[in-house]
Amino acid sequence: MSAVAVILIGMVINTRNALSAQSLTTGFGFLERSTGWDFSFSVIPYDISDTYTRTIIIGILNTLLLGILGIFFATLIGIVIGLVRTSKNYLFSFLGTVYVETFRNIPLILQAVFWYSIVSHLPRPRSAHSLGDVAFLSGRGLYIPWPNISIVALGLILLALAVWLFLLPTLRTRLPTMSLFRMIKRLGWIGLLGAMLAIAYVGRIPDTPLFDIPKLAGLNFKGGVRMPPELSALVIAIALYGGAYIGEVVRAGLMSVPRGQIEAGYVNGLSNFHIFTKIRLPLAVRAVLPSLTNQYVQLMKATTIGLVVGFSDFFFIISTSINQSGQTLELLAILMVGFLIINLSIAFVMNTINKRIALKGYEVKA
Amino acid sequence: MSDQQSNAQAAVTMSGVNKWFDEFHVLKDIELNVTLGEKIVICGPSGSGKSTLIRCICKLEDHQRGDITVLGKALNDDISNIDEIRREVGMVFQQFNLFPHMTVMENCTLAQMLVRKKSRKEAEEIAMNFLNKVRIPEQAMKYPGELSGGQQQRVAIARSLCMNPQIMLFDEPTSALDPEMISEVLDVMVSLAEEGMTMVCVTHEMGFARRVADRVIFMDGGEIVEQNEPETFFNKPQNERTQLFLSQILQH
Amino acid sequence: MVTVAESNLPPRSSWLAIMSKRLFDGPVNTVVTLLCIGFFAWLLYWIIDWVFLSSIWSKDDVEQCKEATGACWSVIHARHRIILFGLFPFEEHWRSTLACVVMIVTMIASCVSWFWTARRLSILWVAGFATFYVLMQGGYFGLTTITPERWGGLALTIFIFAAVSIIGMPLSVLLALGRRSKLPVIAKLVGLFIDFFRSLPLLTILFTAAVITPFVLPGWLQGDKLYRVIVGFAIFFACYQAENIRAGLQAIPPGQDEAGLTLGLSYWHRVFRIQLPQAFRNSLPAIINQFVITFKETSIVTIVGFFEILASGNAAYGTGEWTQHYIEVYAFIGFIYFIFVFSLSRYGAYLEKRLRVGHV
Repeated sequence: MSAVAVILIGMVINTRNALSAQSLTTGFGFLERSTGWDFSFSVIPYDISDTYTRTIIIGILNTLLLGILGIFFATLIGIVIGLVRTSKNYLFSFLGTVYVETFRNIPLILQAVFWYSIVSHLPRPRSAHSLGDVAFLSGRGLYIPWPNISIVALGLILLALAVWLFLLPTLRTRLPTMSLFRMIKRLGWIGLLGAMLAIAYVGRIPDTPLFDIPKLAGLNFKGGVRMPPELSALVIAIALYGGAYIGEVVRAGLMSVPRGQIEAGYVNGLSNFHIFTKIRLPLAVRAVLPSLTNQYVQLMKATTIGLVVGFSDFFFIISTSINQSGQTLELLAILMVGFLIINLSIAFVMNTINKRIALKGYEVKA
Repeated sequence: MSDQQSNAQAAVTMSGVNKWFDEFHVLKDIELNVTLGEKIVICGPSGSGKSTLIRCICKLEDHQRGDITVLGKALNDDISNIDEIRREVGMVFQQFNLFPHMTVMENCTLAQMLVRKKSRKEAEEIAMNFLNKVRIPEQAMKYPGELSGGQQQRVAIARSLCMNPQIMLFDEPTSALDPEMISEVLDVMVSLAEEGMTMVCVTHEMGFARRVADRVIFMDGGEIVEQNEPETFFNKPQNERTQLFLSQILQH
Repeated sequence: MVTVAESNLPPRSSWLAIMSKRLFDGPVNTVVTLLCIGFFAWLLYWIIDWVFLSSIWSKDDVEQCKEATGACWSVIHARHRIILFGLFPFEEHWRSTLACVVMIVTMIASCVSWFWTARRLSILWVAGFATFYVLMQGGYFGLTTITPERWGGLALTIFIFAAVSIIGMPLSVLLALGRRSKLPVIAKLVGLFIDFFRSLPLLTILFTAAVITPFVLPGWLQGDKLYRVIVGFAIFFACYQAENIRAGLQAIPPGQDEAGLTLGLSYWHRVFRIQLPQAFRNSLPAIINQFVITFKETSIVTIVGFFEILASGNAAYGTGEWTQHYIEVYAFIGFIYFIFVFSLSRYGAYLEKRLRVGHV
């Protein structure tokens, strides 16, 4: 034990010496300095004189955005692929196998670079591909319409949705009868929808139409929200790559439902569709959550490759900051703590969901 | 009797042995003396602590109070002591516990070569000798997964015997076997007993006890309730609990 | 006349009957099957056309490439040396090729079961790796010295992968055993160590190794950037692999270790002869999967400034005349990765099936 302590202390002293030999200061004071450099993308408004603190926060937000988008689409793709691969039709499930093998066996970086090359070779805004005249795909990014609602209102809407979803399982067990629960569930969804619309109306930015639609103005588009090609390429790559892995997880979950459960369904006269939706799917979801958590954490960590295409994610910001300010150790510590917090949060959310939907009194032996 | 005892060498001595699993008092003030060459059978209802007792003898379980002495060496926390003791004590488990990734021959020669430092040739000779004794020499190159339960258990016995132990412990050796394989294992144990091996067996096989045991011990609730020679034990059980147990178990 | 043997056999359905039952029973299934056949046919036609029929293979026709609809493989023809060997000097490319071949042979040999004892595997890999190193570095046997800065392309990828595996595997065994140690201090420390490294992205660790450790370690302990990155990568690999091995250890019935105890075997004998062989059998799919992932992750070192195959690929098409043909270059590199990774994971699946057969 003492040997370990001696080694650690030695390392710290050595570092201090090395840094002061290069006249670099230590400590977290630099966070208040303005950065003086620029980068490509941010979720919240920024300019060149922002402090390091704000810049780092922007980096974290960017990573979260990329991660959430990537995970969301990867899950969608994964569910589809998982279903395809458990189909009884050989050819159909082979289709899924081809997808999985193609996208799993090529490194994510290569896929990201590939998609970035494709996306940045799209035509200029003047000759952009138009999607129904409300969205535009060009080499400078994907432009989509965006509701003109303040961020606070958006946040409140999402919060209301999350709270309602969280309450549902509790209500199911607490209410005396199933019919009462079903009625409350219906009322609840209608009420939630009404509340969301009300918040949206109240939170609207004044004197603007409901949706901000991008329009071509000169060389570029004005209005709407721009998804830069870096972000699009990364989201595509993560979604396709993660979808292959999640597809396997989903497939394992569906296959792990004990045969006896399905046979019991047959014996009770349930149709194939009902057996799937009422028996197989719910049990598969419960079986799959730990692996899914793992995959999500992996995908979130995979967002660091954003550096390769120039997307200003958390890692990019930190490494540029290290280059510019020289505050190596502090920034590295911030990076590590940041990722630890992100991963722990994902694990926390998934575990909470796991506990909410877990079968009571059911001992799953791994 | 005291002359006999003082002349014969003590194999296992347990005095005042107590053991708790958390709050559960599983062994209560155990007093047991086994001399060399003696064959002891321990029986009793499940949960009575009989498996725990013999597992304590080779330190697979720790005891919290009391003393255990095996072959003159005290069983304490000294590691070199424990290793020496384990070399001289062999154990046969209910679940056989053969190493599935090694052939029967390799199972028997592994410890000989690593612990007794024998050459491969010597070890294999000894192993074949014992495999002959348990009457499955032809299975020497097979893997445990390819053998029946009875064959696996006999290999397990041979494996322990290859280390030339002075005491053999048996923890319900036939409880995991199908009925038709029990007798082949019991036959091996009987011939082992007839050769003079010191044996402590936990078993439900009362026929075996009657035939082979010098003493039968009845345990219940962590205590030794009664011990006697087989004749007296089975025909004239003195304790009420013993009588109840025997009436339940000897029905079939 | 029907013989007894024949009459005991179940009625055999023809191949056609099985196919039609599986693929064509019911209208939905039939439609899906037809759609799939159509899709595969289209996909196959498109691929064959792009790759073979309409493509240009010769080296010099850049102009032809601009007009052709198929793939322009001339870019590979012209630039394959840079992609495969990086900045390695032209005359010595035979050394790089030979080194890669040696390493591939080593990997294939590891799949042969004759090698599956700890001693033989270690000797095989150490020998293979040493040969690789001597061939690449030179300085012995009259070969000119070529320092690691000049290594690149596929050879560098393979070197990093092999080095990480050689350092990482023994480390992972130690970590797994450490986490299961009976001494709570060691178990907790090792647990923290493993969890810490597993929660970070690989890139962070490589970056730290490449950029930060020069500050933290005293001067004499520093090595070339390549070796620092390899050590960091190996630690990351070891932490993941340790968890796989630990899962395998946990799946062994406790009676196995007890049997070893009663036979008088020491701790190390029990670990190496009884526990580890069974643990590896138990978690072999996960262990091989970790190797597969590691091979793919070698591409990440390009971010810390190494000229491995992805970077060399970027360099290959980045110049002048070939800038439009990034798809071909990426397809080529992707194909190389695919071959390695796919073979490895297929082998893992094969092993899994084979080991399940003899299971007790």
